[in-house]
This record gives sequence, C-alpha cells and structure tokens, in this order.
Amino acid sequence: MINRSEAPALSTIESIDFVAPKIHRINDMVNLLHMDEVANETSRFDLYFDAGKIRGEKSIASFVSGLLMSGTHEKSAIQIQEEINALGGFIETGISAESSVISMYCLNENLLALFEIITDAITHVSFDAQEVKDFISDRKQKLQINREKVSFLAQANFQKELFASDAKYAQVLEDDHFDALTVENLKSFHKDFYLQGLERVVVVGDLPSSQIARICNMAKIMAFTQKPIFAESLQNKAGRIEVFKKDAIQSAIRVGRTLFNKNHEDFQDILILNTILGDFFGSRLMANIREDKGYTYGIGSMIAELQNTGYFLIATEVGADVREKAIDEIKFEIERLQNELVTEGELELVRNYMRGQLLKSADGPYAMVDLYLSAVLQGKDLEFYNEALHSINSITAERLQELAKKYLDWNDLTIVTAG
Amino acid sequence: MIQFERFTLENGLRVLFLEDVTTPLAVVNVLYDVGARDESEDKTGFAHLFEHLMFGGSINIPVFDTPLQSAGGENNAFTSNDITNYYDVLPVENIETALWLESDRMLSLAFTPKSLEVQRNVVIEEFKQRYLNQPYGDVWLELRPLTYEKHPYKWATIGKSLKHIEDATMEDVKAFFSKHYCPQNAILCIAGNLELENVKRLSEKWFGDIPAGNKYERQLPKEPLQTAFRLKEIERNVPTDAFYYAFKMPDRLHPDFYTIDALSDALGRDKSARLYVTLKKEQKLVSDINAYIMGSLDDGLLVISGKLNDNISFEQLDKALWKVLETIREEHMQPAELDKIMVKIRTAKAFQDQGLLNRAMGLSMFELLGDANGINHESDKYKEITTQDIHRVANDILQKDRCSLLRIKSKKND
Repeated sequence: MINRSEAPALSTIESIDFVAPKIHRINDMVNLLHMDEVANETSRFDLYFDAGKIRGEKSIASFVSGLLMSGTHEKSAIQIQEEINALGGFIETGISAESSVISMYCLNENLLALFEIITDAITHVSFDAQEVKDFISDRKQKLQINREKVSFLAQANFQKELFASDAKYAQVLEDDHFDALTVENLKSFHKDFYLQGLERVVVVGDLPSSQIARICNMAKIMAFTQKPIFAESLQNKAGRIEVFKKDAIQSAIRVGRTLFNKNHEDFQDILILNTILGDFFGSRLMANIREDKGYTYGIGSMIAELQNTGYFLIATEVGADVREKAIDEIKFEIERLQNELVTEGELELVRNYMRGQLLKSADGPYAMVDLYLSAVLQGKDLEFYNEALHSINSITAERLQELAKKYLDWNDLTIVTAG
Repeated sequence: MIQFERFTLENGLRVLFLEDVTTPLAVVNVLYDVGARDESEDKTGFAHLFEHLMFGGSINIPVFDTPLQSAGGENNAFTSNDITNYYDVLPVENIETALWLESDRMLSLAFTPKSLEVQRNVVIEEFKQRYLNQPYGDVWLELRPLTYEKHPYKWATIGKSLKHIEDATMEDVKAFFSKHYCPQNAILCIAGNLELENVKRLSEKWFGDIPAGNKYERQLPKEPLQTAFRLKEIERNVPTDAFYYAFKMPDRLHPDFYTIDALSDALGRDKSARLYVTLKKEQKLVSDINAYIMGSLDDGLLVISGKLNDNISFEQLDKALWKVLETIREEHMQPAELDKIMVKIRTAKAFQDQGLLNRAMGLSMFELLGDANGINHESDKYKEITTQDIHRVANDILQKDRCSLLRIKSKKND
C-alpha cells in the first residue's frame, strides 16, 4: 500500500523559456510583431489603434469602434460579414480607455485574404445613416439591459470615482451621448484615429515571410507617425458611493485605487501582495469571504495597467443581506496584511503558485505573444519576466507588510456598492 | 489527428494518455459519468453542489487546493446535466501531486459539516448571481420544464429552487458519493510530455488500489415524442421582450447530430446567418438573434433565441421567423452556403484542438460516448454533410409540433 498521507515530492521551476516574436518595421514608429512558431494551421492577427475612449468625448470612440464593420460605399455590412464568414473568420473588436483593437481568428491559409477584407472595411467605412441609426437603437437597448445588472452599475460608478482626476478616463456611456452623436463626429474621429492611428500589428501563425511583407505594406497607410500622449498619472477619489437598485438580491462591491504600472520600482512586489490578497483560489479574500463565510460565489483582486499608470481593484457580488459584513471582511483582510507578517508557509505556497502561473502564461505561441505585448507596451522587454521570477524567489514578509501599509491604506480607497 | 493511448485498470478505471512534447505543463482530467440528469426530482442541484464539496478535503488530504497550488498548479471543475468534470493543470514535473489529489478524492471524501454549510451558501449565492439577479437569468429555469415533461433535463444543473440546496443533508451527500464516485464510473486522462510506461506506472500506483465500486446503471425516463406546440409567456422586470424557440432533436450519438448542428449554424451562428440577415438586418424586427444546439447526450434541443426591437410585437416576429424556417425546409441551400458553414466549423475545431486541456477533455468526452477516437472522426462526419442532408433534417426538426416557445415580456412595455 502506498502512503497517501504523504504528499509526493515537488520540484521547483528554476527558469522559464520566454520567446520573443520577430519584429518587422511598418514605419519608424509602428511595428508588426510576428510569432511564427505555431505547430498547427491556426492563426490570428490584431490591429491596435490609438483610438481608445480617451481620444474623444461622449463615448464617440466606442461608437466608432462598434461601427467599423458597418459597410463601405462598395460593400454593405452584410456583404462584409459574408466575406469574413466564407473564409471562416471569427472577428472580435474591443475598446479600452487607451486603445482600440480588432482581432481575427482564422486558418493561416485565409489570414492574408481576411486582412485585406478587414483593412478595406476599416479604412473605407462610410457610416451609412441607416446603419448608424440601427446601431444606436441596439446600443440603447444593451445599456438598458446592463443597467439591470448590479455588477455593471458598480463598475460604471467605480470608474468615475477611480479616474476622478481626468474626465476623459472617467467617461462612461450616458443617455445623452446618443443624442450628441452625429455622422460628422463619427467621420472626423475615424479620420483622426483610424486612418492615421494604427499603433501596432500582431500576427500569430505559420505564414511565409512574403505574406508578412504584404501585410506590412497594406498596414503602412494607416500607421501613425506621431507618438501619442497618455495621462502621466491619475488619482482616485477616496470614499464610499452607494448606488441603489430596487429589488436586487445581491450587491456588487468594488474597492480600489489608482496605482502604477511595470515602470514603478514597487510593481513586481505588489503583484505578489495582490496574489496573496485576492488573485487566486487560495487567496485570503476567497478563503475568508467565500470558503469560510459563504457570502459570495467569488471574489478577486487585480492590478491593471495603463500606458503610464495603473490601478488596483477588488470585485465581488455578495448576498444583499451580508453586504456590510463583506465590506468589513475586505477591510479586515487588507489590515491584516498591514498588521501581521505573512507566514513563511503561505509565502512559499504563493511563490510556487506564481512560478507555475508564469510558466503557464508563457506556454504556447498565443499566450507568449500576449505576455510579450504586456511588457513592450510599457517599454519593457522579456527581461522583465526573469526579474519577476527573481522577485518571487526573493520577496520577504517584511517587504510585503511595508507595501501593504504604503499602498493599501483603507482611507485611500474608493468603495462603490450597487444593490 | 490526436494520437492517444488507452488502457483500463483492474478496478475498471479507464485511462487515456495524450502525449505532447511541446509544453512544460501537464493536464489531469477526471470525468465522472454523473450529471444533473441523475438526480431525483425532489433533490435537484445535487450533482453541482457535490462538485463544490469535492474541494472540501478527502480522506488523507484536508484541503484539495493547497497542495496543488504548492505544486505550481491550478484546478477547477464543472457540472452539466450530463457529466461532472474535474481538471488540474500543473508543471509536468509535479504531475504526481495531481494524481495523488484526484485519487484520494475518488477513494473517499472527508469534508466537515462546516464545509457542507459553507458550500450550500456559496452555491446559493451562485444561484442568485447567475440565475436570479440577472436580467433574463431565469430563462432556463422556465424553458427546461416547458420543453421536457418526463426526462430529468426538465431541471437545470443549478437545481429547481434554492430550497433543494438549502435542504441538502450529510446523508444525502454520502449516498451520492458512493453511488457515483468510483473507478467504474470515471474516465482519467493524463496529458503532457510523459512516456506511456510512466503513465501506466503512475496510474496503477495512485488509482490501482481504489475499490471498483458499483457500476451505476442509468435508467432515465425517455422523453415522449412532442406532438403539439407549447407556448408560455412570462412577465419580468427586464427592459426588452425576449423569445426562445426550442425544437426537439435527437441524442448525441444519432447519425443526424452533426447535420443538425450545421443546420443551426445556417440559421444563426453569425452575422451572415439567415435569421440574423433576414430578421435583424432586412426586416429590423430584432436587436439580436442566434441559433444553436444544446449538445446534450440524451434527446436535445435546437434553440433560436433573441430580443425584440422596440415597438415590435411577438406576433410580428413569429410570422417572419416561421417564414425563414419554411424557406430552409422548402428549398435546398446553395453549395456556397454549406461551404461557408464548413470552413467555420473547421476553423473552430482547429482552435479547439490546439489547447492541451481542451484535447484532454474532448478525448474523455468521446470515451464516455463509447470511443475516444471519435474525436478524430468528427471532421469527416461534418465533411460528409450534403445540402440534401440539411434539407432533410430541416424538415424533420423545424416542425411547429416539436417546438416550445418561451416569451419573456417586459413589464415596462405594458
């Protein structure tokens, strides 16, 4: 019989192979990143534009992003979709505060043809009046539905408080944005931030260099030639906001503050503090608020990055009757990090878990290119992840306590509840 | 082509091995042949509650997650109406940790009364978060009992009501474990940069001495043939009217399964599909419309769902929708349309097969269906589909007598 009460021996990850994509220049400011080692016929391309929400007012950036496939003078929206689908393409569009991205997932044999279809659709979008009208009506309906969700209400109001120092970052979709929308505004935003706004192209897939050269060539006309400017720093408004939602049986909670990104000396170490607090299943918030109290299905914390800055966020949905208790426990867990040293046992577990996660985030061409992007966006390279391994290996309980005191003072945090 | 090896331990545990030398990670996937369909009608939501309890500690291990996290890994699980599936992803060097954990909880559970109480609460909060406190969240709680009268698909995985979860006792849970959680009712898949001999040795070492248990013989009532259209209209505090047309379709192993999947793609997979183009883009009746199949193992459903535009009535939509369905029943589609559907299926499959975890889950699921190698025949089965086949199944499936319609009326529109 084997001894089941004894855990099998473990080996520790010593080093991780980080693979950089090949860099092709589109112009002096814009690159194409190509991850070519893909062992199957899958492929993806992403087009990043300097057309994030902060580039306009009254949600214009988000409206333009939503209308990119709405048709040109030559092709209707339906024709464009027919062409994409006939080549088996799966398209995704997304927009964040600082960037707009269009991604295409397809077989490598169809990538070049799809790239042509997509760039033609983006550059020649005509903002047909009927398409715009239908789009607005859809968006209005979606907004009404979202407003029935406590998570949406909490997030939208949290964003306003979090980015209180900069109105463009604080923008969330409001009813009057629909009334302010004109075809002229759409066209002018599109001209400024798409026709001359391409920041970066990413290609993952086994493709011949001749195709990459053609893609660079096609992309050149949209590539920007001036370095874009982003907020250097942002400041949250500390304090509590309560949003009322009639008959809600759960309340959504958001707690957080503005912070910094990879370029700050405390960044590597605060990632570890964040993991302990709320970034994995065994985290303190999960262990206490879900696994001990049963107040929630899930609670988590994260560190998010912007071009020059970043922020920290805790998010959860809890039973409406235990909302205040849950907030007390969140406060308790944050203060425990300030008042007590993390034990060596817990720290060793988190070290092992984080090394495993880093290994996973470098596994395979798709994960690896995203990991690489996350570094280069802040002007770093893959050395950042070797440094991350070093930080994980050498962090101390005292250092974590110091960071908790420095950055997680309860009085500095924004707290938003909806329900 | 997914290459794999297969062997069975003496206690009846089926083991699949998928070699992949390109990744530093390994996957251990354990599929248990038990889902919400195996619950009794007065104790629903049990398979899923039980899945939560499987993380509450086993006979030799107080907490499941901690050793796995110490090994640099993570894990999760899901329950459906058909199966319960647990998986661990970790660095391949530490694969024994996952085998130790999974074998110990197959051997015997040992969670405390407190763990039961907490997980009951967690599941109740999950019930609220996903089904009760979301606009349209309770659709499946309403649609399932409308479409199924006899078969246990008539309740959702989460359960019929909060009360069934609240009432779960320790005795119920123990009985459920001994009935369903044993080597004979499980499929283990090990994937990663490993060698077959090693996989055989490790499987035998950790799972070989677990008692075989009793093979669970499933005897579920068959859903009688639906012979009349069903309609249910409910009112909810939602901003927009929504509709769900559910058509009966055959089980997962039926020869027409893949053809019906392709039919649903033609109707509503994407923005060039028939329902989207006709009802949204041309006639502007809906803001959104999709068609899909549920993919269940027993007799399933093809569902068409969407939301109405403002000032459009359910009756207007109904007339237009049946007209689109009549067209696909009456006229053979052009080969170009079928080609489009096929290239999307091929692309989706290529992406699905590239992740190790997906492949491990896929192999386990096909083994449950009778042969893991079925995963390699799937593409051929799609390729064989002709426009005549689509025409035939459209006439078979898209009949009003086999349809149940749920309408959710917005209270605000009154």
